[in-house]
Amino acid sequence: MNKLKVSIVLGIMCFVLTYGIFLQIKTVENSNMEVSQNYEENNLRAEVLKFKEKYDNKAKDLEKLEKDLEEERKEATQDNTELENEEIQIKKANKIIGLSEVTGPGVIVTLQDSEMNPSNALNISDLLVHDLDVLNVINELKNAGAEAISINGQRLVSTTAISCEGNVININKVKVGAPFEIKAIGLPESLSALERPGGYLPFLEKYSIKTSLEKSNQLTIPKYSGKLEFSYGKSK
Amino acid sequence: MIFIAIILGCILGAILGINAPMISYTYSSYLAIAVVAALDTVFGGIASVVNKKFDIKIFISGFFGNAILAILLTMLGEKLNVDIYLAAIVVFVGRMFVNLGIIRRYYVEKWTSKFSKKKEKSK
Repeated sequence: MNKLKVSIVLGIMCFVLTYGIFLQIKTVENSNMEVSQNYEENNLRAEVLKFKEKYDNKAKDLEKLEKDLEEERKEATQDNTELENEEIQIKKANKIIGLSEVTGPGVIVTLQDSEMNPSNALNISDLLVHDLDVLNVINELKNAGAEAISINGQRLVSTTAISCEGNVININKVKVGAPFEIKAIGLPESLSALERPGGYLPFLEKYSIKTSLEKSNQLTIPKYSGKLEFSYGKSK
Repeated sequence: MIFIAIILGCILGAILGINAPMISYTYSSYLAIAVVAALDTVFGGIASVVNKKFDIKIFISGFFGNAILAILLTMLGEKLNVDIYLAAIVVFVGRMFVNLGIIRRYYVEKWTSKFSKKKEKSK
């Protein structure tokens, strides 16, 4: 009897111990943490990870609250035709200014830095995808009738700026790095004119930048996660 | 019986630990210190078995008490901006080495005595 008790207790303790160890291993692995011997470096990394976690939690909260708000609005406007019309208008406007997710047919353009050996290139700068390349591609897409565009998950809205920031580019004041995945919703046939001879993609390929264009029937473009606010422009 | 329980506990813990949801990074440092404290108690328990002073009550209370105390001290250190967990790690790991030394000495002595007995017999 005593032996049974002892073995049960030891089993439980072993269970707790291995459970803790494996949980810890998993957490450390998932947070992409390389444990270095440098104390200062580890501390800084831990701080960054903690803040990132806080940020992610807040973003999740925000998402949930927005969903709640939408549901509340739906409930409030259910049995009122006038309000329902307003609701439809709000939805339409949100779609146009980029505050709601959009799905539809379109193309996915990817731009990737060249993999050529830099010592073989005349100008190393030609091997990289620049902010201006991205801008030109977007301009051509808009010209071909794109209705909604996102770059690596950053939705383009009316206040979006694309600027160079060293080895990354700034979109919506968020740093975005290569490879760039540009999603555009519109008529896929006309959007894929980007690939035409003399178009911008063949031009980039001349500089050995890797490009690809893929048509898709079901694209999802995320909504703009920032805040759209006008402090100078007034409407009548 | 005891060995079966230990192995079963280890396997169950490993499987559940791998499949468990990830804990938030903020708490992972507490878990780490608790794991170290528990490991220290385990080695202490083995050493006391070797010394024939093993007491299951002391073992259990040490296992959970040390882990909880270590977590609390780490929290206190964070509030006071002192890295108390460093001291805890130093103490626990230091004790682990001492206990490992005791265990090692016991087994080495056992082995050497066995060998010398065999030699005497062959003579």
